[in-house]
Amino acid sequence: MTSLLTNYRIWAYLVFFAILLALPLTGDDFWLNRVAKYLCFGMLGAAIALTWGYAGVLNLGQGLFFGLGAYAMAMSLKLASYTSLQQGSDQPVPDFMLWNAQPGASTDLCCITPGSWLWIPFQSQWFGVAMAIIAPVIVATLLGKLIFGQRISGVFVSIITLALVLLARLLLVDAQPVTNGFNGLTDLGYFNLFGTELDPYAVTTYYVITIALIVVLTLARLLVATRAGTVLQATRDSQTRALYLGYDVPAYQTFFFAVSAAISGLAGMLYVVVAEFASPSFLDLTFSVTMVVWAAVGGRGSILGACIGAILINVLEARASETEALVEAWKAIVGLVFVLVVIWLPQGLGGFAHDMMRRLTGRRRPEALKQEVRQ
Amino acid sequence: MFDILFIGLSLSSILLLVALGLAVTYGAMGIINMAHGEMVMIGAYVAVLSNIWLGANLLLAIPLAFLVTAALGYGLERLVVRRLYGRLLDTLLATWGIAILLQQAIRLEFGLTFFGIHIEGLGSGLQNVPVPQFLQGTLGLFGLQLNSYRVFIVLVTLALAGLTWFTLYRTPLGMKVRAIIRNPQMASACGIDVKATNAITFALGSGLAGVAGVLMAGFRSVSPDMGATMVVDGFMVVVTGGVGSLLGTVAAAGILGEINALVAIFFNEIAGRASVLLVVILVILLRPAGLFSFKGR
Repeated sequence: MTSLLTNYRIWAYLVFFAILLALPLTGDDFWLNRVAKYLCFGMLGAAIALTWGYAGVLNLGQGLFFGLGAYAMAMSLKLASYTSLQQGSDQPVPDFMLWNAQPGASTDLCCITPGSWLWIPFQSQWFGVAMAIIAPVIVATLLGKLIFGQRISGVFVSIITLALVLLARLLLVDAQPVTNGFNGLTDLGYFNLFGTELDPYAVTTYYVITIALIVVLTLARLLVATRAGTVLQATRDSQTRALYLGYDVPAYQTFFFAVSAAISGLAGMLYVVVAEFASPSFLDLTFSVTMVVWAAVGGRGSILGACIGAILINVLEARASETEALVEAWKAIVGLVFVLVVIWLPQGLGGFAHDMMRRLTGRRRPEALKQEVRQ
Repeated sequence: MFDILFIGLSLSSILLLVALGLAVTYGAMGIINMAHGEMVMIGAYVAVLSNIWLGANLLLAIPLAFLVTAALGYGLERLVVRRLYGRLLDTLLATWGIAILLQQAIRLEFGLTFFGIHIEGLGSGLQNVPVPQFLQGTLGLFGLQLNSYRVFIVLVTLALAGLTWFTLYRTPLGMKVRAIIRNPQMASACGIDVKATNAITFALGSGLAGVAGVLMAGFRSVSPDMGATMVVDGFMVVVTGGVGSLLGTVAAAGILGEINALVAIFFNEIAGRASVLLVVILVILLRPAGLFSFKGR
């Protein structure tokens, strides 16, 4: 028990959770909505730390999983929106489909536009929720099997994931009759959680997201502490050695890749609930790289660090953008800070905090950890 | 049919223009330079500025842009990249930060916007550069009417590829660079100053990007964010071709450009782009070392 009390890592998690749970006491609904969005980004940061920090796989296409989750949820919420219910059909029909429909096409979800039948099961919100997790996991598992099965690693994984997210974005924008293309899905309805409508500005919604984040962080942290997590880190440090020790390296890598995808899908889903839109910009290359920036500044080797990094950068950015002159300068500041962090703090703020705590508690940093910075 | 192939060829030459510099920096130094696209952008701005302030045409801007971006690249290597050798993914991240900085430097006119000073040719708007008279219009070749400027780009690209080949394979510097590509430690043990060579190589690669920028300024509008998508295309070309292989880069640019043009004409623009991405993914999956690669030692 004493070791539990002196373990600063556990305390860091607990303090962070306490701050999140106490935040509604400030009573500022507008900021609460914003912070809720950033908590979703925090999940993304944790997802990146899981693959990048623990598996050594830099995914430059994490936006694909976020986007899949976001679109699955948005499709359900679009059908729940009043704009879909007033189209003169007994079934809800998204408004943009009517604008895209051929003259004389039946105003039914099955055949109003080519491919619109895909939307039919999304009339159930829970189907949208399930797909927001399942779709990213399926894609990640298939992709992981292909990539890791071929023992592709390092930059090549990054280039494949990057090409894939760009490909997905192209197809998404091109499939205008089904996805509303470039405009994305807007005018969404509220998510109905067992009879409670999740108004994006309500405290309930904030708590739903906070609890989701707490669950995700706790599970992810416990997961990397398991035997599988240790094998994964061994793989990161030396793939060949782990292989020769008899571990099924591709299976471990694929599993964690899928977990990271599931977290990203969940983040996308919750983001849509608070932000009330889904757009192809989620699949922009810039967004995927920005997530990596958050994780890098927060600390790629620490799930909590990466999560806090994401939240902190976004809160600062929102503050900076309130001053007009700072909007453009802010980007330059982020760029500069990022360069400095990569050069001098390769393990990010999380790694820095670890070092400080180690120094304070008199424990030395193990040699192996120093080495891992140099890949 | 030949006109389609020509469109493909001009797409290829643009890909190659961007990829040449990357082939040098990534292949030789193991640096993923995400700021490469911004070097292209700065080259384009050199063309814009020299047109406005010096009244110089595109041809004159080419050597100017080469000098400016090569100097910038040299400084970058000295200041940032040098500290990151051996940390491949970190170079990607740090140069991404630099890319943002360079973009914002142009957008904010080096920060002068805050003092209310405006430099014509900079800022966040779109800029255009006029093409010299003799490169406008079309050119009759083998009974085809070809756009003169596109022919010019293809020729300049070929010349640059030839020059890069000459530098890499027929000069003492090139010999050092190739030794470093094969095995940096061994090269260093043989008395090659790896650090100095790397700095010059990086400057050369950046200079090539600057020239690419000038040529691009001739057929599309120039804006601070024009580089971001280009670097991705450039990387795909280099990785598809095989890291460290100049021939591979040239071949990959040719293949990807033609695929893009052919599919785009028989189906549509989006299918063309999508097929390029698909081919890149397939190549990495099936031949992770690229189409043309040597065995590392």
